[in-house]
Amino acid sequence: MIIREILSLIAFLIGTAFGIVGMIGLFRFKDPYSRLHAGSLCATTAVFSYLIALLLLSPSLASTARLIILIVFFLISAPTGSSIVARFIWESEDAEKHRSSMAKEDKGL
Amino acid sequence: MSSFILSGMQIALFSFAFITLIRLMLGPTSSDRLVALNVLSAVSLALLILWGIRNRRTLYLDVALVYDIFGFLGFLAITRFLKHRKEGR
Repeated sequence: MIIREILSLIAFLIGTAFGIVGMIGLFRFKDPYSRLHAGSLCATTAVFSYLIALLLLSPSLASTARLIILIVFFLISAPTGSSIVARFIWESEDAEKHRSSMAKEDKGL
Repeated sequence: MSSFILSGMQIALFSFAFITLIRLMLGPTSSDRLVALNVLSAVSLALLILWGIRNRRTLYLDVALVYDIFGFLGFLAITRFLKHRKEGR
């Protein structure tokens, strides 16, 4: 029982660290691509670590089985949603100026 | 110790949701708002699962599964709608 709680605490701390870093990145980055990177990578890792911590703390077998199905579906659906958002940003008109500004910065470097 | 972890997780998830809501309101373009909405759907999914584990009710986990599926379909609908609105203009 105590090993379960210690592993759950470790997963909780990892998830909190990734979540805080992702929230900082969501505000500090300039263009939507970098924000999507910070949001999708760090928030997905944080939520996944929280789900593992909850899986270790789950009280009954019924909730454990449902949590495993939820984790598998979350691992499928979260990157697909990020990919849909990335394609929307790539095809929208606002991204044109971000792309041109990034190209200018690369030329300056 | 278990209740301490669950309480800390709830506080952390609520603060993540609040920060993401601020980003959702501040975002200058629709792309930034969609990025924030993507994060917010994942955080609210984790909140639903946390509530189900904490109250020992498996009903909330079923609700979380259906919420995940429909949030995924909602993204497709929102991006399709915004794209068609931009093309029509």
